[in-house]
Amino acid sequence: MEQRLANTWQMTVNEKKFIETALLSDLRVDGRRPFDYRRLIIKFGREDGLSEVQLGHTHVMGFVTSQLVQPYRDRPNEGTLAIFTEFSPMADPSFEAGRPGESAVELGRIIDRGLRESRAIDTESLCVVAGKFVWAIRIDLHILDNGGNLVDAANIAALAALSTFRRPECSLGGKDAQEVIVHPPETREPLPLIIHHLPIAVTFAFLGKDNIVVVDPTHYEEAVMGGRMTATVNMNGDVCAIQKAGGVGVMHSVIMQCLRIASVKAADMTTKIKNAVSTSLYAYSPQVESYKTERSQRMIKRHTSTAAVDVSEPSHKEINVLLRHHLERSTIRSGELIASSSNAMEIETQLSEQDEKQRDGGARTFIGGPSNWDPLSKGVDSDALKVSLASRGAVRANTKLEESKIENLDVFEQSHPLADVNPVPPLHEVAAIDLQTKGERTLKDAVKPKHKRKKKPSSKTDAS
Amino acid sequence: MEVDRADGRTRNQLRPLACTRGTLNRAHGSATWSQGETKVLAAVFGPKAGTKKNENPEKACIEVIWKPKTGQIGKPEKEYEMILKTTLQSICLLTVNPNTTTSIIVQVVNDDGALLPCAINAACAALVDAGIPLKHLAVAICCCLPDGGYVILDPCKLEEQRTKAFAYLVFPNSLASVRRKGSLQVEVEPVEHGIITSVTRGVMPVEDYLRCLERGRAVSAKLSEFLRRSM
Repeated sequence: MEQRLANTWQMTVNEKKFIETALLSDLRVDGRRPFDYRRLIIKFGREDGLSEVQLGHTHVMGFVTSQLVQPYRDRPNEGTLAIFTEFSPMADPSFEAGRPGESAVELGRIIDRGLRESRAIDTESLCVVAGKFVWAIRIDLHILDNGGNLVDAANIAALAALSTFRRPECSLGGKDAQEVIVHPPETREPLPLIIHHLPIAVTFAFLGKDNIVVVDPTHYEEAVMGGRMTATVNMNGDVCAIQKAGGVGVMHSVIMQCLRIASVKAADMTTKIKNAVSTSLYAYSPQVESYKTERSQRMIKRHTSTAAVDVSEPSHKEINVLLRHHLERSTIRSGELIASSSNAMEIETQLSEQDEKQRDGGARTFIGGPSNWDPLSKGVDSDALKVSLASRGAVRANTKLEESKIENLDVFEQSHPLADVNPVPPLHEVAAIDLQTKGERTLKDAVKPKHKRKKKPSSKTDAS
Repeated sequence: MEVDRADGRTRNQLRPLACTRGTLNRAHGSATWSQGETKVLAAVFGPKAGTKKNENPEKACIEVIWKPKTGQIGKPEKEYEMILKTTLQSICLLTVNPNTTTSIIVQVVNDDGALLPCAINAACAALVDAGIPLKHLAVAICCCLPDGGYVILDPCKLEEQRTKAFAYLVFPNSLASVRRKGSLQVEVEPVEHGIITSVTRGVMPVEDYLRCLERGRAVSAKLSEFLRRSM
């Protein structure tokens, strides 16, 4: 008993007074204003459905898996969604392994209500055979570091993981079309979940005797707060859920103000999540790229006159677009990796290779199989690389990621470069560049587009 | 005759290693260790007051919690916890802080083969980050024996599943010291030729096991070099 008391962390009176006094002049301990969020970083893992979110010092990892199960009796044609939250002891010394405590259960319930009852995920599309087989989606949220405001961070992790999750495609077969055949991802492309809207949780804390409202409390502020409230709203202004479990009483005008602030924050957060998701998808899957290429090719054919932009070296730009995104992907995904020179070399050769094949045979080199990094990949042929580089004439094979990053930023002066590599470059800007370069290619090779498209499926099967 | 493995490595080639320390803020020490696609995050809290019920209060106690990526905690996780605990107990200086508990929490971020060695390496790096007194570090390696009768190192998940036997081996790291060579020897052999832990799965003949040991020792020198550089 004494040991547990000795091990718990207590807040000193000085710290408490300091936080409250600073708030009277609209200052928070980490320099934020009362309604500012901390820095948000969303990273994705190599496989679908794995996300890692950092909100200031709070780290949460989300992982989505799916399984075919029997549906509930009262809902025979709907899939199920289950959220498991793990307050890992690594997040906070007061978290204990074993049964989840009440705050863990509350967190799970808030996120669950936001997703399920607002019908953010379409569960009817998860039905395979009504009454027999449906997809059960399981979301595991691992809290790795408790820097305060776990609800918001865990919610974002869940949404990011759901947005990038792909479930395997399945079809009916067998003797009487009652057997379900699940296709592995190599044979058929897995499908995304249908997400109607993104419910964002915004947490408010009430501090001090005047009940000053702050958004996104740190764990120091949580230790001194009088009460808290979480409002789950989406970008359309719908309130999906509100949670105020006990704590100090506040005036209803304050509650209304909080809801207004929450809808503003939700819009901001939704754009951030969508940008992060689409950047990672854009960098990862050539399916999305080729779909966009085809769409943009069709658009370019209609507007041939307006597509003329001063692009001196289209191939150079294109390679740099891919390079930049691949770099961002690799800095996002593996920001801490010790970048060996062979690794960097290999990324560049992959990209130039892929560029050569015009993204049709490149599916294997881009989508992450477990051994995508290998320094001795079969595809790297230094002679072929030199030939391709000589023909393009513009790309210097750098062996350092940083150098090439700076080079790309220089190239993109015309098109508003980003000062720091953040996982949130605006997608429309990238798509615009994409459109231009694609336009140049089809105008130049106007003879070939149909042949190219026909080649794509055959070379994909060759590659796979 | 060099065999072509699925990802193009030779028999004795490891996957690229990466180690970062200090990733978490609340934990006293933390480290992530990745070997290729396998990635493990380890965090250390301690020393905390008090030991568990049946533990010796004259020594420090080590507690390991293994968190899998998904699913319930079952018997395999308990086994990993036990192996990690005994391995780390042998490298920590337990008499420096008696009647205390040091908790090590291991979170699996991605499993692509050789999970336990990766976890041991990560736990070691986290202990260093937390400043827990250690005798020496531990380097862990997985050796696997496919049908051909040769040894391959650091298998990925597919290779591990297809092989008939594999062994996880943990060695003490090689020492670079100013003292004379002779004083660091235990009996006749140098300290780094000892072996801390060995876990085997499957059936393998004795000579193959000894060959695994040799390979493992050779690789442990390389791993120690990497550890030294990254710390």
